[in-house]
Amino acid sequence: MIEIRNLSRSFGDLRAVDNISLDIYSGKITGFLGPNGAGKTTTMKMMVGYLQPNNGNIFIDGKDVFADPIANARKIGYLPEHNALYDEMYVFEALRYYADLRKMSSEDFTQRQEFVVNSCGLQDVNTQKIGTLSKGYRQRVGIAQAILHDPEILILDEPTSGLDPNQIIEIRELIKELGKEKTVILSSHIMQEVQAVCDRVVIINKGKIAVDDDIENLSKYLSDKEMLVLEIEGEDIDLTDFYTANPSAVPVLEEKTADGMKLEIQQSPDECLRRELARFIAQRGWILTSLFVQKVSLEEIFHDLTRKATDIHSDDEDMPEDEHTDPESTDKDTLEGEDTDSELIEEEDYEPVELEEIEEAEMPDEGEDS
Amino acid sequence: MRTILTIAFKEFQLAMRSISSYIVYILFLIVGGAAYSTVVFKIGDAGLRSYYEILHALFVLFIPALTMGSIAREQHSGTMEILFTMPIRLIHIVWGKILAAFLQLLTLLSFTAIFYAVIAVMGVNFDHGANLLGFVGMLLAGLCYISIGIFASSLHENQIQAFVIALVISGFFFAMRYVILLMPLSMVRYLQFFSFDHHLASFLRGVLDLRDVLFFLAFSLIFSFLAEFRLQAQNLLQER
Repeated sequence: MIEIRNLSRSFGDLRAVDNISLDIYSGKITGFLGPNGAGKTTTMKMMVGYLQPNNGNIFIDGKDVFADPIANARKIGYLPEHNALYDEMYVFEALRYYADLRKMSSEDFTQRQEFVVNSCGLQDVNTQKIGTLSKGYRQRVGIAQAILHDPEILILDEPTSGLDPNQIIEIRELIKELGKEKTVILSSHIMQEVQAVCDRVVIINKGKIAVDDDIENLSKYLSDKEMLVLEIEGEDIDLTDFYTANPSAVPVLEEKTADGMKLEIQQSPDECLRRELARFIAQRGWILTSLFVQKVSLEEIFHDLTRKATDIHSDDEDMPEDEHTDPESTDKDTLEGEDTDSELIEEEDYEPVELEEIEEAEMPDEGEDS
Repeated sequence: MRTILTIAFKEFQLAMRSISSYIVYILFLIVGGAAYSTVVFKIGDAGLRSYYEILHALFVLFIPALTMGSIAREQHSGTMEILFTMPIRLIHIVWGKILAAFLQLLTLLSFTAIFYAVIAVMGVNFDHGANLLGFVGMLLAGLCYISIGIFASSLHENQIQAFVIALVISGFFFAMRYVILLMPLSMVRYLQFFSFDHHLASFLRGVLDLRDVLFFLAFSLIFSFLAEFRLQAQNLLQER
């Protein structure tokens, strides 16, 4: 068990970790989630004893990390964020070196090496120089190094960064497997990763814990927003009446196009306004050319979540639930490009039937339309 | 002990794989050889004393180049971070690195055995004792310069800066022999204690003085502890 008590660390004026307290129990996978620069890495560096805190303590199995760093280091396997390796060494050589530094016996090493090489998929590159390896393989060597001595506690700082999708799945499986017996702490800025792998999520933002909960409960923090994205053809498009009739709909974007308008309307997911909207548009004699429901992107959810959670913690006034988050204000740096691919466009929300209905309704006015 | 040997062996192995170390070795041997062939035969003395003096001057330039990357490179690339989280003591890392550099120096100096052989065969009244002891003295002085170099390497991530710092500190102890000539006689007694030449003199005469051996060993130890202190302080001081 790892106990973190009132941990703080500053770099100059920057308070990287601000009075964090946390208990991490054995046999669970805990995920540190947070935007870049949130303090995840700093916290992890302090947990492995690489960085000394300005304030507070970390106890592993009741013992202070800095009281006996050597005994502590034996229990921990660590994959740093910048996974630096000796480029001139061969993979097997590097593993041997780390095993020697950890004073493993040669039988122990042979046995563990086999496991590690197989589980990290290093069979093909074992006799290659590390400098010649791709980023994905380097990352695997780093993970192999971390689990080589069969540690009780595994601290992995962004373990899947630089891996391709197949490798990510493999490594996640490996982490899950390891998490059955060991205490695994991993950090990530990818929400799905934490959702896929961890039992518990700790969201860190600006050096503070924003959310600390079981992964099942994460969804309750998730933003309850959906976006209706539609394009309308027609003249003098004005949806004010619709908004007055349906107060849960909030216009986000109204953009004039050559022959109509492009709109984004925010709605709450329990009340779907597609039908009402389509009917409304048809009644006015406009043509609805496209309509789909878009879940708010992870970026926005994440931004919203960290903001909301910080507000809750700092006991600020309640934010109105349906107040809109301007997409422009979301911190594009919080998540990498790969995540934006995962904007969830729910395909089942395309309901051609409805469009047909609309078109039928439009027919009388637009006689020529087929 | 195992940790020190593991680190030393790995460092030595990697150094032997790097082309840049061979360039340094070859340069050293060329300059050393040229100095040997021009100086030794001009003095009507079958001994290596004059050669050792040149070797000593070469150390000041060459050893900082040998050690500059030792810790600095690992700090720069980030491999130090993993090393720090291994169950090892920081002083063992420093000693391992000193030992690795010492092994390199020993390998290199073993090539100069040919100089020794030539003069031993050709010279008359060659004093094996004094010349062998002189060699031991050179190794001890080399150890001191190495520990200075390792300490300098721990100060900076930048190898060139580490080299310059090592050069300045080594130069200070080397140049003491010239500085004391300008000092008042009353101070010479104290200052010459810090001069490597003063401590090497007995070795070159063929006398093994325990005080000089202890001086060199203690000197190396002090700088290795300084390097350890620096690494320890870095945990607290690092800005990123």
